[in-house]
Amino acid sequence: MTFTKSLLGGLLLSTFSTTTWAQNYFISDAKLVTNTSQGTIEKTDLIIRNGKVAEIGSDLAAPSNVEIIAADGRWVTPGLIAPFSRLGLMDIGGEDVTNDTSSEKSITSVSELASDSYNPKSVFVANTRRMGVTHAVISPSAAGDSIFGGTGAVVNLSGRYNSVEKPAAFVFVQLGENGTRRAGGSRAAALQQLRAALDDAGAYPTRYDGPEDGDALNRQDASALFKAARGQMPLMISANRAQDLLNIIKLKNEYGSLDIIILGAAEAWKIADELAAAKIKVMIDPHDNLPTSFDSVEARLDNIVLLDEAGVEYVITNASALGIQRPATLAQHAGNAVGNGLSWDKAFAAITATPAKWFGLPGGSISEGANATLVVWDGDPLNVTSAPTNMLIEGRRQSLTSRQTALRDRYNPTSDDTRLHKYR
Amino acid sequence: MIKILRMTLLGTTSLALLAACGDKTETKNEGKADKAPAFASTYAPQPSETTLITNARIIDGTGQELESGSVLIADGRISAIGTEVKGEASLTIDAGGKYVTPGIIDIHSHLGNYPTPSVHAHGDGNEVTSPITSEVYAEHGVWPQDPGFDEALQGGVTTLHILPGSANLFGGRGVTLRNIPARTVQAMKFPDAPYTLKMACGENPKRVYGNKGGPGSRMGNVAGYRKNWIKAQAYKKKRDKGGEDFSRDLQLETLADVLDGKILVQMHCYRADEMVQILDIAKEFDYKVTTFHHAVESYKIADILKESDTCSAMWADWYGFKMESYDGILENVPFVHAAGACAMIHSDDEKGIQRLNQEVAKTWAHGNRAGLNIPKAEAWKWLSTNPAKALGISDETGTLEVGKRADIVIWSADPFTTYARPEKVFLDGALMFDKENGLKPKSDFRLGYGE
Repeated sequence: MTFTKSLLGGLLLSTFSTTTWAQNYFISDAKLVTNTSQGTIEKTDLIIRNGKVAEIGSDLAAPSNVEIIAADGRWVTPGLIAPFSRLGLMDIGGEDVTNDTSSEKSITSVSELASDSYNPKSVFVANTRRMGVTHAVISPSAAGDSIFGGTGAVVNLSGRYNSVEKPAAFVFVQLGENGTRRAGGSRAAALQQLRAALDDAGAYPTRYDGPEDGDALNRQDASALFKAARGQMPLMISANRAQDLLNIIKLKNEYGSLDIIILGAAEAWKIADELAAAKIKVMIDPHDNLPTSFDSVEARLDNIVLLDEAGVEYVITNASALGIQRPATLAQHAGNAVGNGLSWDKAFAAITATPAKWFGLPGGSISEGANATLVVWDGDPLNVTSAPTNMLIEGRRQSLTSRQTALRDRYNPTSDDTRLHKYR
Repeated sequence: MIKILRMTLLGTTSLALLAACGDKTETKNEGKADKAPAFASTYAPQPSETTLITNARIIDGTGQELESGSVLIADGRISAIGTEVKGEASLTIDAGGKYVTPGIIDIHSHLGNYPTPSVHAHGDGNEVTSPITSEVYAEHGVWPQDPGFDEALQGGVTTLHILPGSANLFGGRGVTLRNIPARTVQAMKFPDAPYTLKMACGENPKRVYGNKGGPGSRMGNVAGYRKNWIKAQAYKKKRDKGGEDFSRDLQLETLADVLDGKILVQMHCYRADEMVQILDIAKEFDYKVTTFHHAVESYKIADILKESDTCSAMWADWYGFKMESYDGILENVPFVHAAGACAMIHSDDEKGIQRLNQEVAKTWAHGNRAGLNIPKAEAWKWLSTNPAKALGISDETGTLEVGKRADIVIWSADPFTTYARPEKVFLDGALMFDKENGLKPKSDFRLGYGE
């Protein structure tokens, strides 16, 4: 019965269809957010062919043999990119055996690849995808005595096997309170561990006659830090206190070519000009406004607005524990940046075009010839009441169902199914 | 998730406390029961003007929405509301068509007892020394200088309920507070609001006490509740009888007050099957579970919850951080509501409490997308009306009705959007937050920082 119902109507069909292989689509009457100089185009059509956006224009004729997605004036945007998460690295956060985010007792650090732990079948992948997120940056977290979490990756959220887009996208380091504790108990120790590691990687391989010849890193880890130590890969550092951020600027000056992204940066507004001058990028959670620790005593809601005014480059993230496990509410966080004074276009770019640029992803914008990675929404994507109705990743239709929607459908009070729940 | 971590951290330090202080909770009965209650509320409404809010789009919390109406506030209470309000006011506020709603009530908060900054010294929200700590009172761990209170006010929260944590089967007494910037917790206590008892199901008690004498399983949890209700029944019998040989026991006093219907049970419980077992225990010992908190699986047993008149306080989209929360769906609140059971939102979080309207907007939209047809004015009940009911204060607040406290929010836009912000927040008719002129409270902790 449910099956027949789901076949009625284009919208329902699309909602319940499973992932299909790349084919051609005609999207009609879209309010298209391009993230290019063309801005947002009202009432436009798109032709998707072979995974690419073949044509954009008003009143295009639908080619034959394409599936038609009627946007009916609603929003069509690039897919959202979660710039920081541990998606697919854990099933149940509280159950250690299902949690691969960190390795307390391993013999390696920087060289551990989050992509090796990534589980595309984690229910959180599909549950996050149905909220409009097509890609996520995934990061391991630091453990034991090391301030290094390891090497992070970028994945697409198709949920298919082999959905890692970039297995080695950045190296993750924790300073602030967490790194301080791991390094032995002081900020000085944490910063010195970082310097020693950068020196090891800078002198790799000549410094290493044996695997333990480094000051801070063994041979494998020094090798893994090689690119980031030379600015050929981002070095992502978590820190919040303004003075810690100034120390990171100093570090960048000492080492010259580092490509630094700071995660957290709750007090960044205090030194916005310095960050802009040093071309250090920041990942901001626009909900951060409490003195959660003595690292973020001066956190405030308009941090991102002040950074924007100073010309600092930023992305928006949900840095709460659950937001990291599954960045499904990324759009809400961007929406709240708008509520606090950032422009809609800038907030939206901070969860699409900007992270795409930082991590070298195709996507993040929509133009002719670009990858067809896009979402059709039933309303303003930054409004909490909106949700996707269709999604393509590189031209492939994505399912917007998940374990959550299966539970929803089984227990929906509008259902007239009287069978026992386990038979529904 | 954060709370679990805190509890684990606290485990070791509070054990030391127990060793130092002993577990002496019994005192001699003083005889007279009608003397002034301990830790009495000293809350006093701030002075307010007779205020008329006109040209307002009113969601009143009873399920009604007025496209254009007025609210008259006199002596801190709502004295008139509707499309044709007459009355003299010394202050008139033209809302300019903006939304006006009741103040938000958060039934599950740890502000003050897990305050920011989250240093070890601030972990006063859970007495993790025994699975039975019904003798402790959340209010004794509340630090009124928690900066989170100030931010919650700016999110439209006018009343909030602070509970002990969930490590224990019986965690202790919860307290309902007015969100008034104050120096003492007594000055925040909601006058005449009933006490509550925090209880907890499932994973937390058995995890925390599994290696400390139990409970170590859900079986042990249930046995623990029952053994103590039996003790409470015997204690109540003695107390009812009175006389020389009766002596007070703080631990059992709280439970006996539950049996007397004076204290409302607020129970942390995730799984549907477990909630139904708890309802059976309540039948066995003839008490009432007022609200299940977190209640991630309430949607699976909404019909049973309706029948037992038990409320559910839920998140819009928190789930999956532990096994018992794995089956969370985005439609939990509207599904419970649609079954005719009492549903509400809650935060359990110092950031979430600042935007509970967005959490309701989210889950409301998901519910309607799943085929329900709930109007906004009906969904608003999840923010103030139902929490007031579940806290036993609905005669005083939770809706905009004549005679109630004038706890009112004027919004910059439709509160069912991401972009809306409270512009003015009234507590008992007194303006406590005003975005326009920068009026807002600032905790002592924040002095000397910033700028």
